[in-house]
Amino acid sequence: MKSLWRFPFTRPAAIFTLVFLYVPIIVLVVLSFGAEDSIARWSGFSLRWYAEVWDNDTMLRTIRNSLTVAVFAMLFGTAAATMAALALARGTFRGKTIAALLLGLPLVVPEIVAGISVLLFFVLVGIRLGITSIILAHIVFVIPYAYLPIRARLDGMDPALVEAAADLYAPRWTAFYRIILPLIWPGIAAGATLAFIGSLGDVVVSYFVSGPGATTLPVYVFSMVRMGVTPVVNAVSTLLLAASIAVFSLSYLVSRSKG
Amino acid sequence: MTAVWRRAALLAPSLGWIAAFLVLPLCLMAYVSTLARGPMGGVDWNHHTADAYVQFLFERDLMDRLVVNTDYLRIFGRSFALAGGTTVLTLLIGFPTAIWMAFQPPSRRLLLVFIITVPFWTNILVRNYAWILLLRTGGLIDTLLRASGLSNEPFSILYTPLATGIGLTYSFLPYMVLPIYVSLEKIDRRLVEAAFDLGASRWAAFRRVILPLAMPGVMGGAILVFVPGLGAFISPELLGGAKSMMIGSLIQQQFGQSRNWPFGAALAFVLFALVLLALGAHQLRYRREAR
Amino acid sequence: MNDAVPAIEGRDLVREFAGGVRALDGVSLSIRPNEFFTLLGPSGCGKTTLLRAIAGLEVPDSGSISLYGQPLDGLPPWKRPVNTVFQSYAIFPHLTVAQNVAFGLEMQRRPRAEIAARVAEMLALVKLEGLDGRKSSQLSGGQQQRVALARALATSPRVLLLDEPLSALDLKLRTEMQLELKRLQARVGITFIFVTHDQHEALTMSDRIAVMNAGQIQQIGTPDEIYDRPASRFVADFIGATNLLEATGTGEGAYRLADGSQIAAQGPAGSVWLAIRPERLRIAPEGSLHGVVEHAVYEGTDTIYHVVVSETVRLRVRAPNSDGASARFATGAAVGVVIPADAVRVLQS
Repeated sequence: MKSLWRFPFTRPAAIFTLVFLYVPIIVLVVLSFGAEDSIARWSGFSLRWYAEVWDNDTMLRTIRNSLTVAVFAMLFGTAAATMAALALARGTFRGKTIAALLLGLPLVVPEIVAGISVLLFFVLVGIRLGITSIILAHIVFVIPYAYLPIRARLDGMDPALVEAAADLYAPRWTAFYRIILPLIWPGIAAGATLAFIGSLGDVVVSYFVSGPGATTLPVYVFSMVRMGVTPVVNAVSTLLLAASIAVFSLSYLVSRSKG
Repeated sequence: MTAVWRRAALLAPSLGWIAAFLVLPLCLMAYVSTLARGPMGGVDWNHHTADAYVQFLFERDLMDRLVVNTDYLRIFGRSFALAGGTTVLTLLIGFPTAIWMAFQPPSRRLLLVFIITVPFWTNILVRNYAWILLLRTGGLIDTLLRASGLSNEPFSILYTPLATGIGLTYSFLPYMVLPIYVSLEKIDRRLVEAAFDLGASRWAAFRRVILPLAMPGVMGGAILVFVPGLGAFISPELLGGAKSMMIGSLIQQQFGQSRNWPFGAALAFVLFALVLLALGAHQLRYRREAR
Repeated sequence: MNDAVPAIEGRDLVREFAGGVRALDGVSLSIRPNEFFTLLGPSGCGKTTLLRAIAGLEVPDSGSISLYGQPLDGLPPWKRPVNTVFQSYAIFPHLTVAQNVAFGLEMQRRPRAEIAARVAEMLALVKLEGLDGRKSSQLSGGQQQRVALARALATSPRVLLLDEPLSALDLKLRTEMQLELKRLQARVGITFIFVTHDQHEALTMSDRIAVMNAGQIQQIGTPDEIYDRPASRFVADFIGATNLLEATGTGEGAYRLADGSQIAAQGPAGSVWLAIRPERLRIAPEGSLHGVVEHAVYEGTDTIYHVVVSETVRLRVRAPNSDGASARFATGAAVGVVIPADAVRVLQS
């Protein structure tokens, strides 16, 4: 007898979804290792496009820019998000709803709107467009990414644990680093990696607030793709992909680990 | 009192940052949209006008009369259609997928969630770029079609609204699957068993028990797909052509070639308002259901 | 030990939560040194709030608490020499059993050797030797309970607060732990303040009980005082099974019930409640009241008779089955109910 839980059409749909989601990615990765100049035909394995990435100074500089931006956005964003999560996790107080709404705002504002409004702001206030302006803008939308897993971790924590620490003569700060911090650490790590990936992968906001001299890798790739497709893009895209997947898998494993 | 100050101090960095680098810029954008365009581009700070909003619907003809211009309206309409179509498509694919996932054994479910989440977190630019490789003439699909003899015509849907739609669907499918899955997974298995026990067929159990309970997830997923779909920039820029422009590109143009900041700001403001409207409607509906 | 100074003295404690719920509505109480003192009441009565106020986890809006004469007001929990066993046990999940027990001692910066010795001593006290390296996820509920006890006792607090510590255990384990707690209290010789909603637990374990309802203390007394001489209708109703009858005092050592029948008892005149324990009533062919057995519930050692005296007066009578099946009455039998005068507790309404 068929299992009760098998609903018709769901299996083919699921298979379609998985194929649909992964085939383009796989094609991209395979082609990046192709020898030929044509991006769509296969004629042997080669690393020449990766070598070209390596030889492309502009691209290397944008990679370094991207990593710099992502690290700073991650550090500041995660720190701010951790503090916010600690403030909002328990209790009710006036303005809590507003605070939560404000924290979620970066997720709601369309990227294009955020991008142009921040651009206007920087131009009119007189902040030079460059690495700094990108970091400033990235921290904004990285905060909710980092906030959610940390908040989830805090919500899953028995509030009596902190009370128990206080009851056992641990002052507030001691209770924080002996009890709270170790317990929410997986959440912070997950939040930080999501912040990192979010910053690393951003195109739209960076596109608007990057300066002529300083741009990030995705913005650079974006302009390359718009100029015309070259196989180097396959290689560098595969690198970006690998970076995102590696960091995400890491954060997944960390957040799954009990702590 | 100290508790209040401690909380304020903890909230200050994040909220302060968001206020300074998002709320303030948004206000500025709204303000700029009411200004006149500067003679050299930029804005004329001393001159307030509703030109930017008028321009959305009207243009001046040679006699300096206002005549209706539907160009921009059509771009908005196309954005709505593409975002809506994407929502429907992701729902059609995503809902059965979520059901299948939710009724898998728990150990496998975890892995599946991971598999669906990975594309969600991989670079959106890369994912859309990959479709160029598939869709372009001389690309993978074209090559396969011709090699199999199914078609002799060059396959070219790249740079069409269809390609944009595919790119959007591809980009946002996980946004639909995950919330539906989450709401389905929460359903007590015994509720479905009770439906079976009371004589419901699989279809009836689905329609009368599973679907209503999954509704919050469906609505959540729809919002998560529709809202960013409306303001999408990457997919139409990479996969769509000049004839399938969406709001995002139109806004960007005003800050690029057109140098018309007030109009760009007005467009962005309208887009933001539409998004807030959609979210507000969803919130209202959700709250009414919760009551 | 100076018995004149209470271990814990609370005066006029008030705590109002958002929404106007008064968890503590003018609570005053005095808990003696080395007492096993229980706060008993239905959920939401304020007993846990009172416990948390003593621990410093909750700050009362007004009123004061002192420990052996020293005011605790304004002291944060980490400066109060009282420890808590939490309802959820709150075992730190990232620390081992030994690290959990050592936590309070480390916070007090005791020498390392002393900590190690004390941890071993505590684990022996709660019979958890050999589990020092385990994490809480590897412990059963009963074991977690013991870790929580060892951890709270390790720093030799002057008072131990226990917040429904047994509610998560199954019946057998709970009975075991009740005895264990009594044994522990005798061993360590400190005051235990125990919160529970389980009257049976309260009656069997406590030296004294405070019955709470709606943020107020209804009665403080020994278990038999609480049971035999309830001070209010609430206490009579909440503790054990009781026949509660509305009555009017005639002023001549008798009370008239709603249906006109009379019961002899000593007490004030006017409108009152009569509380009569079912086991104090006797069922016999003749009695001061007469009625019909509506149904009889056989409980092994006893039989509970539901006797309908009239439309408005029904009585439950608990009769021991020590005389065997022959002495029992069947449903529908006309019976008399014997009410000894000292069985009737008169409560002003």
